[in-house]
Amino acid sequence: MLSASALMGSAALMTMSDDAKAATEWAEHFQKNYRLMTDAEKAEARTRLERRYSSEYGKKVTVDTTGPQPGVLMGYALNVRKCIGCRRCVHACVEENNQSRGTRPGEKIEWIQVLRMERGEFSKDKMNQGYPEGLGIQVGGNAYTPAGQVLEGQYRYEPEAVPEKDATYMPIACMQCEKPPCVKVCPVRTTYREADGPVVIDYNWCIGCRMCMGACPYWARRINLTTPVLPKEEMNPVTHYLGNRPRMRGVVEKCHWCLQRTRQGRYPACVEVCPVGARKFGNLLDPESEVSLILARKNVFRLKAELNTFPKFFYFYD
Amino acid sequence: MKKLAFHTMILAFCCGMMTSALAQEQKAAAAQAPAAQPPQETVCFESRKGASEVTKRDLQPGWPNVKCSPKTGAALWYGDPYDGTVPMGKMPGLEKIPEGHAVVKPRSEKLAILPMCATACHNGVGPAFNPPKLPKDKKPIPIPTMEGLLPDAKDLQHGRGRIWCLDCHHTTKRNMLVDNYGDPVSIDQPQLLCGKCHGDKMRDWRDGIHGKRIGEFASTGKKRWFTCTECHNPHNVQDGARNKGFVQIAPEAPPQLPKGMKDAKYERVHGIAH
Ligand code: SF4
Ligand code: SF4
Repeated sequence: MLSASALMGSAALMTMSDDAKAATEWAEHFQKNYRLMTDAEKAEARTRLERRYSSEYGKKVTVDTTGPQPGVLMGYALNVRKCIGCRRCVHACVEENNQSRGTRPGEKIEWIQVLRMERGEFSKDKMNQGYPEGLGIQVGGNAYTPAGQVLEGQYRYEPEAVPEKDATYMPIACMQCEKPPCVKVCPVRTTYREADGPVVIDYNWCIGCRMCMGACPYWARRINLTTPVLPKEEMNPVTHYLGNRPRMRGVVEKCHWCLQRTRQGRYPACVEVCPVGARKFGNLLDPESEVSLILARKNVFRLKAELNTFPKFFYFYD
Repeated sequence: MKKLAFHTMILAFCCGMMTSALAQEQKAAAAQAPAAQPPQETVCFESRKGASEVTKRDLQPGWPNVKCSPKTGAALWYGDPYDGTVPMGKMPGLEKIPEGHAVVKPRSEKLAILPMCATACHNGVGPAFNPPKLPKDKKPIPIPTMEGLLPDAKDLQHGRGRIWCLDCHHTTKRNMLVDNYGDPVSIDQPQLLCGKCHGDKMRDWRDGIHGKRIGEFASTGKKRWFTCTECHNPHNVQDGARNKGFVQIAPEAPPQLPKGMKDAKYERVHGIAH
């Protein structure tokens, strides 16, 4: 009891304090889960964060709290035949979303991964090789080099120029599943699907248990094992509460389809930067939008469809 | 940190070049405003190298119009998607888009000598044009100046020998292209020309499926449309024997290696041998 009142006393003191950061952190401890906040509480949290980030990063930082817009269900499509594996999307995402960009282990976080897949082939000189080899009885052939996919692919390819002759590229990130396993496992229910589609995280309520990272079949989630390294001059000051506002140590983050942009009607950063136009984004409820037209007209597949996660991220090819 | 080190290196280099007094002054200035760049401009290329570019500037403090890759010089992020754009002009099939909501970056601005094409050389004056006549075999006359300006013209790849200059460029208005009726259209509207043959691509482009648009995602929102020639080289679309519509470019940096790994060789050794 004593300690509690002492705590309250210091709370009052700290809230009074001029140090924007200390005051915010204290208030944050008593903050509700974003979904349970009233509009007034959201506004309060927003002002608090804007003050804190602005002083921390030395420029005017805005924290948007715009909610889902009626009649919008976001969807994404990616042309796997077009992608050249240049990784511009990966870096656009980092520039936009204030990920940690340090150099020590665990300090560099990227949400998009571009997988390089070897094309593979069937070749004449392997014609006589059997399977299993050397046992006398052959139950299959070995005339191939794994075609299309090499296990989970290569992430760190670094040729002079892309696309390479014998490779295809497959970018992956959060698929914004309609039935997201990550949401099912979150013990504090801080990650959830927003009404316009994206699966988001209220970073303040994340306890860093990493259940979602284990549950996600698409390797989409990242944890801030260290205090994020975000240089002032590189920080993107246009943020959303559920989107790219700076994160703290020990919380999980992932792609949220640039909520700070898309809630204002703008394309995500990766879509805008892809030099070949492989990335497409739009409103699934609008029959005229590019994703709707792609779904209607092109050959479309979803990654690991057999898991019934129903991603709103579609792959297609011409 | 890397950036800082880089700046320091540049600074050290400058110091070596100048008198020490000047160098000291510079150092003091740099210490006062570490974020302030030297007045030199940062320009990055967009889709295809050499086709279109953006110059970096601040829209508001700490919020630039574009961010460029220090590794490849490519545009990595757009703050202002409409930088340097003009209205697209009439485009059949896009009538539903409100006036001014379809913008493009004019190609003509990048093609510096374009205004001179039809006056300096292709002006209808000269020995070969008196009376005006064109080669009957549709083979371009090898003019060194022209080939110097456009090496691709020597052995035109587009169409693999089945088309020539004036199938796309207007006969008498050489700084313009030709549409379906043979009428001249602006070089800023290559889609009106390209769609003549590549109708399927044109349809997909019009619907936003092929090619690239940036700005607002709503189907009637304001967008900058990338035109055909911003991504494809019109004289060698297939990139010679490579036979791909997009030229090769340098990739951006790979992700961080797992802790303790020196290189990414492990990615190549496991899983492939069956
Ligand atoms: S891809 Fe992974 S992180 Fe994204 S919604 Fe699905 S399960 Fe969750
Ligand atoms: S920017 Fe486009 S082409 Fe480059 S890796 Fe990403 S999706 Fe592929």
